[in-house]
Amino acid sequence: MSIIKRRQPNRSRAGDIGVYLVLIMFGSVMVLPLIYATCQAFKPLDEIYKFPPTILVRNPTLDNFSDLFVTMSQSWVPFTRYIFNTVFITAVGTVGQLLIASMGAYVLAKYDFPGGRKFFTLITTALMFNGYVTSIPSYLIMAKIGWVDSYLAAFVPAFAAPMGIFLMKQFMEGIPDALLEAAKIDGAKEWGIFTKIVMPNVKPAWLTLIIFSVQGLWNNPQSTYIYSEELKTLPYALQQITAGGVARAGAGAAVTLVMMIVPIGIFIFSESNILETMASSGIKD
Amino acid sequence: MKAKKPRNLRRRNAIAGYLFICPFIIGFVAFLLQPMCESFYMSLCRVNIVANAPKGESPFDMNIITTLKETNYYRAFFVEAQYKTELINTLKAMAVQVPAILVFSFFIALLLNQRFKGRGFVRAIFFLPVILSSGVLVGLETNNILMSGIKDVIAESSGPGITDALKDILQAIGIGQKILKPVFDIIEAVYDVALASGIQIVIFLSGLQTVSPSMYEAAKIEGCTAWESFWKITLPMVSSIILVNLVYTVVDFFMRSDNKVMEIITTKINPGMDYGLGSAMAWAYFGIVIVILGVVAAILSKVVYYYE
Repeated sequence: MSIIKRRQPNRSRAGDIGVYLVLIMFGSVMVLPLIYATCQAFKPLDEIYKFPPTILVRNPTLDNFSDLFVTMSQSWVPFTRYIFNTVFITAVGTVGQLLIASMGAYVLAKYDFPGGRKFFTLITTALMFNGYVTSIPSYLIMAKIGWVDSYLAAFVPAFAAPMGIFLMKQFMEGIPDALLEAAKIDGAKEWGIFTKIVMPNVKPAWLTLIIFSVQGLWNNPQSTYIYSEELKTLPYALQQITAGGVARAGAGAAVTLVMMIVPIGIFIFSESNILETMASSGIKD
Repeated sequence: MKAKKPRNLRRRNAIAGYLFICPFIIGFVAFLLQPMCESFYMSLCRVNIVANAPKGESPFDMNIITTLKETNYYRAFFVEAQYKTELINTLKAMAVQVPAILVFSFFIALLLNQRFKGRGFVRAIFFLPVILSSGVLVGLETNNILMSGIKDVIAESSGPGITDALKDILQAIGIGQKILKPVFDIIEAVYDVALASGIQIVIFLSGLQTVSPSMYEAAKIEGCTAWESFWKITLPMVSSIILVNLVYTVVDFFMRSDNKVMEIITTKINPGMDYGLGSAMAWAYFGIVIVILGVVAAILSKVVYYYE
Protein backbone atom coordinates (compact mmCIF):
# COMPACT_ATOMS: atom_id res chain seq x y z
CA MET A 1 0.00 0.00 0.00
CA SER A 2 2.84 2.33 0.73
CA ILE A 3 3.88 2.21 -2.91
CA ILE A 4 0.55 3.54 -4.03
CA LYS A 5 0.39 6.27 -1.46
CA ARG A 6 3.55 7.88 -2.73
CA ARG A 7 3.16 10.66 -5.27
CA GLN A 8 3.18 9.05 -8.67
CA PRO A 9 6.78 9.20 -9.76
CA ASN A 10 6.13 9.16 -13.49
CA ARG A 11 3.87 12.18 -13.52
CA SER A 12 5.34 15.62 -13.81
CA ARG A 13 4.35 18.58 -11.70
CA ALA A 14 2.83 20.17 -14.81
CA GLY A 15 0.64 17.10 -15.19
CA ASP A 16 -0.53 17.52 -11.60
CA ILE A 17 -1.42 21.12 -12.22
CA GLY A 18 -3.23 20.15 -15.41
CA VAL A 19 -5.34 17.59 -13.56
CA TYR A 20 -6.27 20.11 -10.91
CA LEU A 21 -7.11 22.75 -13.53
CA VAL A 22 -9.46 20.47 -15.43
CA LEU A 23 -11.11 19.31 -12.22
CA ILE A 24 -11.53 22.84 -10.94
CA MET A 25 -13.03 23.93 -14.24
CA PHE A 26 -15.67 21.22 -14.45
CA GLY A 27 -16.05 21.04 -10.71
CA SER A 28 -17.12 24.64 -10.61
CA VAL A 29 -19.79 23.94 -13.23
CA MET A 30 -21.06 21.12 -11.03
CA VAL A 31 -20.93 22.97 -7.77
CA LEU A 32 -22.57 26.16 -8.98
CA PRO A 33 -26.15 24.88 -8.72
CA LEU A 34 -25.49 23.67 -5.19
CA ILE A 35 -24.11 26.99 -4.06
CA TYR A 36 -27.00 28.69 -5.73
CA ALA A 37 -29.55 26.42 -4.07
CA THR A 38 -27.91 26.82 -0.68
CA CYS A 39 -27.76 30.58 -0.95
CA GLN A 40 -31.31 30.68 -2.22
CA ALA A 41 -32.47 29.14 1.04
CA PHE A 42 -30.92 31.96 3.04
CA LYS A 43 -32.00 34.83 0.80
CA PRO A 44 -34.70 37.25 1.84
CA LEU A 45 -37.64 37.30 -0.56
CA ASP A 46 -36.69 40.47 -2.41
CA GLU A 47 -33.28 39.01 -3.22
CA ILE A 48 -34.76 35.78 -4.58
CA TYR A 49 -36.65 37.75 -7.18
CA LYS A 50 -33.91 40.15 -8.04
CA PHE A 51 -33.09 40.55 -11.69
CA PRO A 52 -30.50 39.77 -12.91
CA PRO A 53 -30.32 36.91 -10.39
CA THR A 54 -27.32 36.78 -8.11
CA ILE A 55 -25.67 33.59 -6.98
CA LEU A 56 -24.39 34.61 -3.59
CA VAL A 57 -26.55 35.84 -0.78
CA ARG A 58 -26.12 39.44 0.38
CA ASN A 59 -28.17 39.60 3.57
CA PRO A 60 -28.52 36.04 4.86
CA THR A 61 -31.60 35.37 6.99
CA LEU A 62 -33.23 32.33 8.53
CA ASP A 63 -36.69 33.65 7.67
CA ASN A 64 -37.22 30.99 5.04
CA PHE A 65 -36.82 28.21 7.57
CA SER A 66 -39.09 29.81 10.12
CA ASP A 67 -41.52 30.45 7.26
CA LEU A 68 -41.35 26.79 6.43
CA PHE A 69 -42.27 25.81 9.95
CA VAL A 70 -45.09 28.30 10.09
CA THR A 71 -46.45 27.04 6.79
CA MET A 72 -46.11 23.42 7.80
CA SER A 73 -47.62 23.86 11.23
CA GLN A 74 -50.79 25.01 9.52
CA SER A 75 -51.11 21.76 7.62
CA TRP A 76 -52.83 19.04 9.60
CA VAL A 77 -49.97 16.55 9.31
CA PRO A 78 -46.77 17.47 11.13
CA PHE A 79 -43.76 18.10 8.94
CA THR A 80 -41.83 15.29 10.63
CA ARG A 81 -44.44 12.86 9.33
CA TYR A 82 -43.46 13.69 5.75
CA ILE A 83 -39.84 13.18 6.64
CA PHE A 84 -40.57 9.84 8.29
CA ASN A 85 -42.56 8.64 5.27
CA THR A 86 -39.80 9.51 2.87
CA VAL A 87 -37.09 7.96 5.01
CA PHE A 88 -39.11 4.80 5.54
CA ILE A 89 -39.98 4.32 1.87
CA THR A 90 -36.43 5.07 0.79
CA ALA A 91 -34.84 2.73 3.32
CA VAL A 92 -37.11 -0.26 2.73
CA GLY A 93 -37.10 0.21 -1.03
CA THR A 94 -33.34 0.44 -1.19
CA VAL A 95 -32.62 -2.56 1.02
CA GLY A 96 -35.17 -4.67 -0.83
CA GLN A 97 -33.91 -3.69 -4.23
CA LEU A 98 -30.32 -4.32 -3.26
CA LEU A 99 -31.06 -7.81 -1.97
CA ILE A 100 -33.41 -8.92 -4.73
CA ALA A 101 -31.40 -7.38 -7.55
CA SER A 102 -28.11 -8.87 -6.37
CA MET A 103 -29.57 -12.32 -5.91
CA GLY A 104 -31.06 -12.24 -9.37
CA ALA A 105 -27.91 -10.76 -10.86
CA TYR A 106 -25.77 -13.47 -9.29
CA VAL A 107 -27.83 -16.13 -11.02
CA LEU A 108 -27.81 -14.31 -14.34
CA ALA A 109 -24.08 -13.71 -14.21
CA LYS A 110 -22.82 -16.99 -12.85
CA TYR A 111 -25.38 -19.68 -13.58
CA ASP A 112 -26.06 -21.27 -16.85
CA PHE A 113 -29.76 -21.34 -16.26
CA PRO A 114 -32.16 -21.95 -19.11
CA GLY A 115 -33.56 -18.79 -20.62
CA GLY A 116 -31.24 -16.64 -18.53
CA ARG A 117 -29.80 -14.81 -21.48
CA LYS A 118 -33.20 -14.08 -22.95
CA PHE A 119 -34.49 -12.88 -19.62
CA PHE A 120 -31.57 -10.52 -19.30
CA THR A 121 -32.26 -9.08 -22.75
CA LEU A 122 -35.82 -8.54 -21.64
CA ILE A 123 -34.64 -6.68 -18.55
CA THR A 124 -32.33 -4.49 -20.58
CA THR A 125 -35.17 -3.72 -22.94
CA ALA A 126 -37.52 -2.89 -20.10
CA LEU A 127 -34.93 -0.43 -18.83
CA MET A 128 -35.65 1.78 -21.75
CA PHE A 129 -39.33 1.95 -21.27
CA ASN A 130 -40.69 5.10 -19.82
CA GLY A 131 -42.57 4.72 -16.61
CA TYR A 132 -45.01 7.48 -17.35
CA VAL A 133 -46.76 5.52 -20.04
CA THR A 134 -47.29 2.49 -17.87
CA SER A 135 -48.52 4.56 -14.97
CA ILE A 136 -52.17 3.96 -15.81
CA PRO A 137 -51.95 0.17 -16.18
CA SER A 138 -49.72 0.11 -13.08
CA TYR A 139 -52.35 1.98 -11.18
CA LEU A 140 -54.98 -0.50 -12.23
CA ILE A 141 -52.79 -3.35 -11.03
CA MET A 142 -52.20 -1.66 -7.70
CA ALA A 143 -55.92 -1.12 -7.37
CA LYS A 144 -56.57 -4.79 -8.11
CA ILE A 145 -54.25 -6.03 -5.37
CA GLY A 146 -55.48 -3.33 -3.04
CA TRP A 147 -52.20 -1.54 -2.50
CA VAL A 148 -53.41 1.88 -3.46
CA ASP A 149 -52.85 4.32 -0.67
CA SER A 150 -50.33 2.25 1.25
CA TYR A 151 -46.58 2.23 1.63
CA LEU A 152 -46.44 -1.04 -0.29
CA ALA A 153 -47.30 0.66 -3.57
CA ALA A 154 -44.42 3.04 -3.07
CA PHE A 155 -41.60 0.61 -2.42
CA VAL A 156 -42.50 -2.84 -3.73
CA PRO A 157 -42.23 -1.86 -7.41
CA ALA A 158 -38.80 -0.45 -6.62
CA PHE A 159 -37.66 -3.96 -5.64
CA ALA A 160 -38.00 -5.08 -9.21
CA ALA A 161 -36.47 -2.04 -10.86
CA PRO A 162 -34.46 -3.35 -13.81
CA MET A 163 -31.61 -0.89 -13.35
CA GLY A 164 -30.39 -2.62 -10.20
CA ILE A 165 -30.14 -6.10 -11.64
CA PHE A 166 -28.58 -4.75 -14.81
CA LEU A 167 -25.85 -2.91 -12.94
CA MET A 168 -25.12 -5.76 -10.53
CA LYS A 169 -24.96 -8.37 -13.26
CA GLN A 170 -22.37 -6.43 -15.23
CA PHE A 171 -20.14 -6.17 -12.19
CA MET A 172 -20.60 -9.78 -11.12
CA GLU A 173 -19.43 -11.02 -14.49
CA GLY A 174 -16.04 -9.67 -13.50
CA ILE A 175 -15.65 -12.17 -10.65
CA PRO A 176 -13.50 -15.07 -11.84
CA ASP A 177 -15.28 -18.43 -11.88
CA ALA A 178 -12.25 -20.00 -10.27
CA LEU A 179 -12.98 -18.11 -7.08
CA LEU A 180 -16.49 -19.54 -6.88
CA GLU A 181 -15.31 -23.03 -7.75
CA ALA A 182 -12.67 -22.88 -5.05
CA ALA A 183 -15.34 -21.93 -2.53
CA LYS A 184 -17.57 -24.77 -3.72
CA ILE A 185 -14.74 -27.26 -3.36
CA ASP A 186 -14.16 -26.01 0.16
CA GLY A 187 -17.75 -26.86 0.90
CA ALA A 188 -19.48 -23.48 0.73
CA LYS A 189 -23.22 -23.52 0.17
CA GLU A 190 -24.84 -21.32 -2.47
CA TRP A 191 -26.01 -18.77 0.06
CA GLY A 192 -22.54 -18.73 1.62
CA ILE A 193 -20.89 -18.14 -1.72
CA PHE A 194 -23.29 -15.33 -2.43
CA THR A 195 -22.92 -13.54 0.89
CA LYS A 196 -19.28 -14.24 1.66
CA ILE A 197 -17.63 -14.12 -1.75
CA VAL A 198 -19.77 -12.50 -4.41
CA MET A 199 -21.17 -9.61 -2.43
CA PRO A 200 -17.92 -8.41 -0.83
CA ASN A 201 -16.27 -8.52 -4.23
CA VAL A 202 -18.82 -6.28 -5.89
CA LYS A 203 -19.04 -3.81 -3.06
CA PRO A 204 -18.46 -0.84 -5.40
CA ALA A 205 -21.41 -2.03 -7.47
CA TRP A 206 -23.86 -2.28 -4.63
CA LEU A 207 -22.77 0.97 -3.12
CA THR A 208 -23.46 2.53 -6.50
CA LEU A 209 -26.82 0.83 -6.52
CA ILE A 210 -27.59 2.27 -3.09
CA ILE A 211 -26.81 5.74 -4.39
CA PHE A 212 -29.07 5.14 -7.36
CA SER A 213 -31.92 3.73 -5.45
CA VAL A 214 -31.84 6.27 -2.64
CA GLN A 215 -31.82 9.18 -4.96
CA GLY A 216 -34.63 7.72 -7.05
CA LEU A 217 -36.90 6.94 -4.10
CA TRP A 218 -36.01 9.99 -2.09
CA ASN A 219 -37.03 12.34 -4.87
CA ASN A 220 -40.14 10.49 -5.90
CA PRO A 221 -43.30 12.33 -4.87
CA GLN A 222 -45.21 8.99 -4.96
CA SER A 223 -48.31 11.00 -5.60
CA THR A 224 -49.77 8.50 -8.05
CA TYR A 225 -50.67 5.87 -5.50
CA ILE A 226 -50.88 7.68 -2.22
CA TYR A 227 -53.75 9.91 -1.24
CA SER A 228 -53.81 9.98 2.55
CA GLU A 229 -52.05 13.05 3.77
CA GLU A 230 -50.33 11.13 6.55
CA LEU A 231 -48.64 8.79 4.06
CA LYS A 232 -47.33 11.50 1.77
CA THR A 233 -43.67 12.20 1.20
CA LEU A 234 -41.32 15.11 1.45
CA PRO A 235 -41.09 15.79 -2.31
CA TYR A 236 -44.86 16.00 -2.32
CA ALA A 237 -44.74 18.53 0.48
CA LEU A 238 -42.17 20.46 -1.51
CA GLN A 239 -44.46 20.49 -4.53
CA GLN A 240 -47.30 21.77 -2.39
CA ILE A 241 -45.16 24.50 -0.94
CA THR A 242 -43.83 25.74 -4.26
CA ALA A 243 -47.30 25.56 -5.74
CA GLY A 244 -48.16 28.21 -3.17
CA GLY A 245 -46.59 30.71 -5.55
CA VAL A 246 -44.46 33.75 -5.06
CA ALA A 247 -44.91 34.17 -1.34
CA ARG A 248 -43.78 30.61 -0.65
CA ALA A 249 -40.63 30.79 -2.77
CA GLY A 250 -38.46 31.23 0.30
CA ALA A 251 -39.93 28.23 2.11
CA GLY A 252 -39.60 26.24 -1.11
CA ALA A 253 -35.91 27.04 -1.31
CA ALA A 254 -35.51 25.96 2.32
CA VAL A 255 -37.17 22.57 1.69
CA THR A 256 -35.04 22.10 -1.40
CA LEU A 257 -31.98 22.45 0.78
CA VAL A 258 -33.34 19.93 3.29
CA MET A 259 -34.07 17.53 0.44
CA MET A 260 -30.57 17.73 -0.96
CA ILE A 261 -28.75 16.95 2.24
CA VAL A 262 -29.62 13.26 2.48
CA PRO A 263 -28.58 12.11 -1.01
CA ILE A 264 -25.34 14.03 -0.66
CA GLY A 265 -24.70 12.40 2.70
CA ILE A 266 -25.41 8.92 1.31
CA PHE A 267 -23.10 9.61 -1.55
CA ILE A 268 -20.22 10.74 0.60
CA PHE A 269 -20.68 7.71 2.84
CA SER A 270 -20.69 5.20 -0.02
CA GLU A 271 -17.90 6.80 -1.97
CA SER A 272 -15.54 6.72 1.00
CA ASN A 273 -16.39 3.03 1.31
CA ILE A 274 -15.79 2.28 -2.34
CA LEU A 275 -12.18 3.27 -1.86
CA GLU A 276 -11.55 0.54 0.69
CA THR A 277 -12.88 -2.29 -1.40
CA MET A 278 -10.01 -3.17 -3.66
CA ALA A 279 -7.56 -3.45 -0.80
CA SER A 280 -9.66 -6.05 0.98
CA SER A 281 -11.07 -8.00 -1.95
CA GLY A 282 -9.98 -11.52 -2.65
CA ILE A 283 -9.42 -11.38 -6.40
CA LYS A 284 -5.81 -12.28 -6.96
CA ASP A 285 -5.27 -14.22 -10.11
CA MET B 1 -30.14 -27.44 0.57
CA LYS B 2 -31.72 -29.28 3.46
CA ALA B 3 -32.17 -32.60 1.72
CA LYS B 4 -29.05 -34.71 1.68
CA LYS B 5 -30.28 -36.76 -1.25
CA PRO B 6 -27.58 -37.06 -3.87
CA ARG B 7 -28.77 -34.97 -6.75
CA ASN B 8 -26.73 -34.23 -9.74
CA LEU B 9 -24.84 -30.96 -9.61
CA ARG B 10 -26.52 -29.34 -12.57
CA ARG B 11 -29.97 -29.91 -11.19
CA ARG B 12 -28.99 -28.66 -7.78
CA ASN B 13 -27.51 -25.58 -9.32
CA ALA B 14 -30.64 -24.97 -11.31
CA ILE B 15 -32.87 -25.17 -8.25
CA ALA B 16 -30.70 -22.81 -6.24
CA GLY B 17 -30.60 -20.49 -9.23
CA TYR B 18 -34.37 -20.38 -9.53
CA LEU B 19 -34.73 -19.72 -5.82
CA PHE B 20 -32.33 -16.81 -6.05
CA ILE B 21 -33.90 -15.18 -9.03
CA CYS B 22 -37.55 -15.89 -8.38
CA PRO B 23 -38.35 -12.81 -6.23
CA PHE B 24 -37.03 -10.63 -8.98
CA ILE B 25 -38.95 -12.44 -11.69
CA ILE B 26 -42.20 -12.13 -9.77
CA GLY B 27 -41.74 -8.42 -9.20
CA PHE B 28 -40.58 -7.84 -12.73
CA VAL B 29 -43.54 -9.59 -14.29
CA ALA B 30 -46.10 -8.05 -11.97
CA PHE B 31 -44.95 -4.47 -11.89
CA LEU B 32 -43.18 -3.97 -15.18
CA LEU B 33 -44.00 -6.55 -17.79
CA GLN B 34 -47.70 -6.61 -17.16
CA PRO B 35 -48.19 -2.83 -17.28
CA MET B 36 -46.02 -2.70 -20.38
CA CYS B 37 -48.12 -5.28 -22.17
CA GLU B 38 -51.29 -3.51 -21.16
CA SER B 39 -50.05 -0.18 -22.44
CA PHE B 40 -49.09 -1.84 -25.71
CA TYR B 41 -52.58 -3.22 -25.99
CA MET B 42 -53.91 0.24 -25.25
CA SER B 43 -51.80 1.68 -28.06
CA LEU B 44 -53.68 -0.53 -30.49
CA CYS B 45 -57.08 0.44 -29.23
CA ARG B 46 -59.48 3.27 -29.21
CA VAL B 47 -59.72 3.93 -25.50
CA ASN B 48 -62.85 5.38 -24.04
CA ILE B 49 -63.31 6.13 -20.40
CA VAL B 50 -66.35 4.58 -18.84
CA ALA B 51 -68.01 6.86 -16.39
CA ASN B 52 -68.91 5.22 -13.07
CA ALA B 53 -67.22 1.93 -13.76
CA PRO B 54 -68.05 -0.72 -11.16
CA LYS B 55 -65.39 -1.12 -8.51
CA GLY B 56 -62.60 -3.54 -9.34
CA GLU B 57 -63.22 -3.37 -13.06
CA SER B 58 -61.17 -1.50 -15.60
CA PRO B 59 -62.55 1.99 -16.18
CA PHE B 60 -61.57 1.79 -19.82
CA ASP B 61 -63.51 0.59 -22.75
CA MET B 62 -61.04 -0.63 -25.36
CA ASN B 63 -61.71 -1.61 -28.94
CA ILE B 64 -58.98 -2.67 -31.31
CA ILE B 65 -58.78 -0.38 -34.31
CA THR B 66 -58.78 -2.20 -37.59
CA THR B 67 -58.55 0.46 -40.28
CA LEU B 68 -54.99 1.59 -40.92
CA LYS B 69 -55.75 5.28 -41.19
CA GLU B 70 -57.36 5.33 -37.79
CA THR B 71 -54.70 3.46 -35.87
CA ASN B 72 -52.92 5.42 -33.20
CA TYR B 73 -49.57 4.78 -34.85
CA TYR B 74 -50.73 6.23 -38.16
CA ARG B 75 -52.11 9.23 -36.35
CA ALA B 76 -48.90 9.72 -34.39
CA PHE B 77 -46.73 9.91 -37.48
CA PHE B 78 -48.97 11.43 -40.13
CA VAL B 79 -51.63 13.42 -38.38
CA GLU B 80 -49.77 14.92 -35.41
CA ALA B 81 -47.17 16.95 -37.30
CA GLN B 82 -45.25 17.99 -34.21
CA TYR B 83 -44.47 14.47 -33.07
CA LYS B 84 -42.34 13.47 -36.04
CA THR B 85 -40.21 16.63 -36.05
CA GLU B 86 -39.59 16.49 -32.32
CA LEU B 87 -38.72 12.82 -32.56
CA ILE B 88 -36.10 13.52 -35.20
CA ASN B 89 -34.70 16.45 -33.22
CA THR B 90 -34.43 14.35 -30.08
CA LEU B 91 -32.66 11.55 -31.88
CA LYS B 92 -30.21 14.00 -33.42
CA ALA B 93 -29.44 15.55 -30.05
CA MET B 94 -29.02 12.09 -28.63
CA ALA B 95 -26.52 11.11 -31.33
CA VAL B 96 -24.35 14.10 -30.41
CA GLN B 97 -24.74 14.14 -26.66
CA VAL B 98 -24.51 10.50 -25.71
CA PRO B 99 -20.95 9.98 -27.00
CA ALA B 100 -19.97 13.32 -25.51
CA ILE B 101 -21.36 12.32 -22.11
CA LEU B 102 -19.61 8.96 -22.23
CA VAL B 103 -16.22 10.41 -23.14
CA PHE B 104 -16.55 13.23 -20.66
CA SER B 105 -17.58 11.02 -17.77
CA PHE B 106 -14.90 8.45 -18.51
CA PHE B 107 -12.31 11.18 -18.59
CA ILE B 108 -13.46 12.68 -15.32
CA ALA B 109 -13.67 9.23 -13.71
CA LEU B 110 -10.08 8.55 -14.73
CA LEU B 111 -8.99 11.80 -13.15
CA LEU B 112 -11.00 11.15 -10.01
CA ASN B 113 -9.55 7.68 -9.71
CA GLN B 114 -6.07 9.12 -9.30
CA ARG B 115 -4.65 9.80 -5.92
CA PHE B 116 -4.53 13.44 -4.99
CA LYS B 117 -5.38 15.58 -2.05
CA GLY B 118 -9.06 16.20 -1.39
CA ARG B 119 -10.24 13.45 -3.70
CA GLY B 120 -13.31 12.55 -1.66
CA PHE B 121 -14.40 16.13 -1.70
CA VAL B 122 -13.92 16.53 -5.44
CA ARG B 123 -15.81 13.29 -6.07
CA ALA B 124 -18.72 14.54 -4.04
CA ILE B 125 -18.77 17.70 -6.12
CA PHE B 126 -19.03 15.69 -9.30
CA PHE B 127 -21.95 13.77 -7.95
CA LEU B 128 -23.96 16.89 -7.15
CA PRO B 129 -25.64 17.26 -10.53
CA VAL B 130 -27.25 13.87 -10.04
CA ILE B 131 -28.97 15.10 -6.94
CA LEU B 132 -29.81 18.47 -8.37
CA SER B 133 -31.03 17.37 -11.74
CA SER B 134 -33.07 14.48 -10.47
CA GLY B 135 -36.75 14.07 -9.94
CA VAL B 136 -38.17 16.88 -7.96
CA LEU B 137 -36.04 19.69 -9.18
CA VAL B 138 -36.51 18.90 -12.84
CA GLY B 139 -40.18 18.26 -12.32
CA LEU B 140 -40.58 21.62 -10.71
CA GLU B 141 -38.49 23.35 -13.30
CA THR B 142 -41.38 25.10 -14.96
CA ASN B 143 -42.53 26.88 -11.86
CA ASN B 144 -39.27 26.70 -10.04
CA ILE B 145 -37.10 29.72 -10.05
CA LEU B 146 -34.12 27.70 -8.92
CA MET B 147 -33.11 25.99 -12.13
CA SER B 148 -34.17 28.75 -14.46
CA GLY B 149 -32.30 31.18 -12.26
CA ILE B 150 -29.14 29.12 -12.62
CA LYS B 151 -29.51 29.05 -16.38
CA ASP B 152 -29.88 32.82 -16.49
CA VAL B 153 -26.82 33.30 -14.34
CA ILE B 154 -24.75 31.02 -16.50
CA ALA B 155 -25.93 32.54 -19.74
CA GLU B 156 -25.09 35.94 -18.35
CA SER B 157 -21.65 35.12 -17.02
CA SER B 158 -20.28 32.93 -19.79
CA GLY B 159 -22.51 33.75 -22.70
CA PRO B 160 -21.99 32.43 -26.18
CA GLY B 161 -18.80 34.49 -26.35
CA ILE B 162 -16.21 31.74 -26.52
CA THR B 163 -17.89 29.62 -29.14
CA ASP B 164 -18.71 32.64 -31.28
CA ALA B 165 -15.14 33.84 -31.16
CA LEU B 166 -13.92 30.37 -32.09
CA LYS B 167 -16.35 30.19 -34.97
CA ASP B 168 -15.12 33.52 -36.30
CA ILE B 169 -11.51 32.45 -36.14
CA LEU B 170 -12.17 29.15 -37.84
CA GLN B 171 -14.22 30.75 -40.56
CA ALA B 172 -11.47 33.25 -41.16
CA ILE B 173 -9.01 30.41 -41.64
CA GLY B 174 -11.45 28.83 -44.05
CA ILE B 175 -12.61 25.73 -42.25
CA GLY B 176 -16.23 25.07 -43.04
CA GLN B 177 -18.70 25.26 -40.23
CA LYS B 178 -20.46 22.13 -41.33
CA ILE B 179 -17.66 19.79 -40.31
CA LEU B 180 -17.25 21.42 -36.95
CA LYS B 181 -20.92 21.82 -36.18
CA PRO B 182 -21.13 18.77 -33.91
CA VAL B 183 -18.09 20.06 -32.03
CA PHE B 184 -19.74 23.42 -31.50
CA ASP B 185 -22.96 21.76 -30.48
CA ILE B 186 -21.06 19.89 -27.80
CA ILE B 187 -19.23 22.99 -26.62
CA GLU B 188 -22.47 24.87 -26.39
CA ALA B 189 -24.03 22.00 -24.55
CA VAL B 190 -21.08 21.53 -22.22
CA TYR B 191 -23.15 22.50 -19.24
CA ASP B 192 -25.84 20.00 -20.15
CA VAL B 193 -23.24 17.33 -20.79
CA ALA B 194 -21.53 17.95 -17.47
CA LEU B 195 -24.81 17.93 -15.59
CA ALA B 196 -25.97 14.75 -17.29
CA SER B 197 -22.88 12.73 -16.50
CA GLY B 198 -23.01 12.42 -12.73
CA ILE B 199 -24.19 8.82 -12.51
CA GLN B 200 -21.99 7.80 -15.41
CA ILE B 201 -18.96 9.10 -13.55
CA VAL B 202 -19.94 7.07 -10.50
CA ILE B 203 -20.44 3.92 -12.57
CA PHE B 204 -17.10 4.38 -14.32
CA LEU B 205 -15.42 5.02 -11.00
CA SER B 206 -16.73 1.81 -9.51
CA GLY B 207 -15.62 0.03 -12.66
CA LEU B 208 -12.14 1.46 -12.36
CA GLN B 209 -12.06 0.41 -8.72
CA THR B 210 -12.54 -3.23 -9.62
CA VAL B 211 -9.37 -3.28 -11.74
CA SER B 212 -6.74 -4.91 -9.60
CA PRO B 213 -3.73 -2.67 -8.87
CA SER B 214 -1.43 -5.66 -9.16
CA MET B 215 -2.12 -5.66 -12.88
CA TYR B 216 -0.76 -2.16 -13.26
CA GLU B 217 2.16 -3.09 -11.07
CA ALA B 218 2.99 -6.08 -13.24
CA ALA B 219 2.70 -3.97 -16.36
CA LYS B 220 4.97 -1.35 -14.87
CA ILE B 221 7.60 -3.93 -14.04
CA GLU B 222 7.44 -5.09 -17.63
CA GLY B 223 8.23 -1.55 -18.70
CA CYS B 224 4.77 -0.42 -19.68
CA THR B 225 4.16 3.33 -19.76
CA ALA B 226 1.05 4.88 -18.26
CA TRP B 227 -0.28 5.58 -21.74
CA GLU B 228 0.14 1.94 -22.78
CA SER B 229 -1.36 0.56 -19.63
CA PHE B 230 -4.40 2.76 -20.17
CA TRP B 231 -5.05 1.22 -23.58
CA LYS B 232 -4.03 -2.34 -22.69
CA ILE B 233 -5.36 -2.65 -19.15
CA THR B 234 -7.79 0.07 -18.16
CA LEU B 235 -9.83 0.22 -21.34
CA PRO B 236 -10.37 -3.52 -21.83
CA MET B 237 -11.09 -4.02 -18.14
CA VAL B 238 -13.83 -1.41 -18.05
CA SER B 239 -15.20 -2.14 -21.52
CA SER B 240 -18.21 -3.91 -20.06
CA ILE B 241 -18.85 -0.85 -17.91
CA ILE B 242 -18.77 1.33 -21.01
CA LEU B 243 -21.62 -0.76 -22.34
CA VAL B 244 -23.53 -0.33 -19.09
CA ASN B 245 -23.01 3.38 -19.25
CA LEU B 246 -24.05 3.60 -22.86
CA VAL B 247 -27.32 1.93 -22.04
CA TYR B 248 -27.80 4.07 -18.97
CA THR B 249 -27.06 7.31 -20.81
CA VAL B 250 -29.48 6.53 -23.60
CA VAL B 251 -32.14 5.58 -21.08
CA ASP B 252 -31.53 8.72 -19.10
CA PHE B 253 -31.72 10.86 -22.21
CA PHE B 254 -34.84 9.09 -23.28
CA MET B 255 -36.60 9.51 -19.96
CA ARG B 256 -35.63 13.06 -19.16
CA SER B 257 -38.72 15.04 -18.46
CA ASP B 258 -37.51 18.07 -20.38
CA ASN B 259 -37.42 15.87 -23.45
CA LYS B 260 -39.76 17.31 -26.11
CA VAL B 261 -41.14 13.98 -27.22
CA MET B 262 -41.99 13.04 -23.66
CA GLU B 263 -43.69 16.38 -23.29
CA ILE B 264 -45.94 15.66 -26.25
CA ILE B 265 -46.72 12.22 -24.88
CA THR B 266 -47.54 13.45 -21.40
CA THR B 267 -49.78 16.21 -22.67
CA LYS B 268 -51.62 13.70 -24.85
CA ILE B 269 -52.18 11.47 -21.85
CA ASN B 270 -52.83 13.86 -19.05
CA PRO B 271 -54.85 16.82 -20.17
CA GLY B 272 -55.66 15.19 -23.53
CA MET B 273 -57.00 11.93 -22.07
CA ASP B 274 -56.06 10.22 -25.31
CA TYR B 275 -54.45 7.14 -23.78
CA GLY B 276 -54.37 5.20 -27.00
CA LEU B 277 -52.48 7.88 -28.92
CA GLY B 278 -50.14 8.61 -26.02
CA SER B 279 -49.28 4.93 -25.62
CA ALA B 280 -48.73 4.57 -29.36
CA MET B 281 -46.37 7.52 -29.41
CA ALA B 282 -44.45 6.14 -26.46
CA TRP B 283 -44.19 2.70 -28.03
CA ALA B 284 -43.00 4.09 -31.34
CA TYR B 285 -40.38 6.15 -29.53
CA PHE B 286 -39.40 3.14 -27.45
CA GLY B 287 -39.14 0.93 -30.52
CA ILE B 288 -36.86 3.34 -32.35
CA VAL B 289 -34.54 3.76 -29.38
CA ILE B 290 -34.41 0.01 -28.81
CA VAL B 291 -33.38 -0.59 -32.39
CA ILE B 292 -30.65 2.05 -32.27
CA LEU B 293 -29.38 0.84 -28.94
CA GLY B 294 -29.51 -2.76 -30.04
CA VAL B 295 -27.33 -2.04 -33.07
CA VAL B 296 -24.80 -0.02 -31.07
CA ALA B 297 -24.70 -2.55 -28.23
CA ALA B 298 -24.25 -5.42 -30.67
CA ILE B 299 -21.25 -3.66 -32.18
CA LEU B 300 -19.84 -2.73 -28.79
CA SER B 301 -20.31 -6.16 -27.25
CA LYS B 302 -18.00 -7.56 -29.93
CA VAL B 303 -15.16 -5.59 -28.38
CA VAL B 304 -16.18 -5.97 -24.75
CA TYR B 305 -13.66 -8.00 -22.89
CA TYR B 306 -14.66 -10.19 -19.95
CA TYR B 307 -11.92 -11.03 -17.55
CA GLU B 308 -11.65 -14.77 -17.01
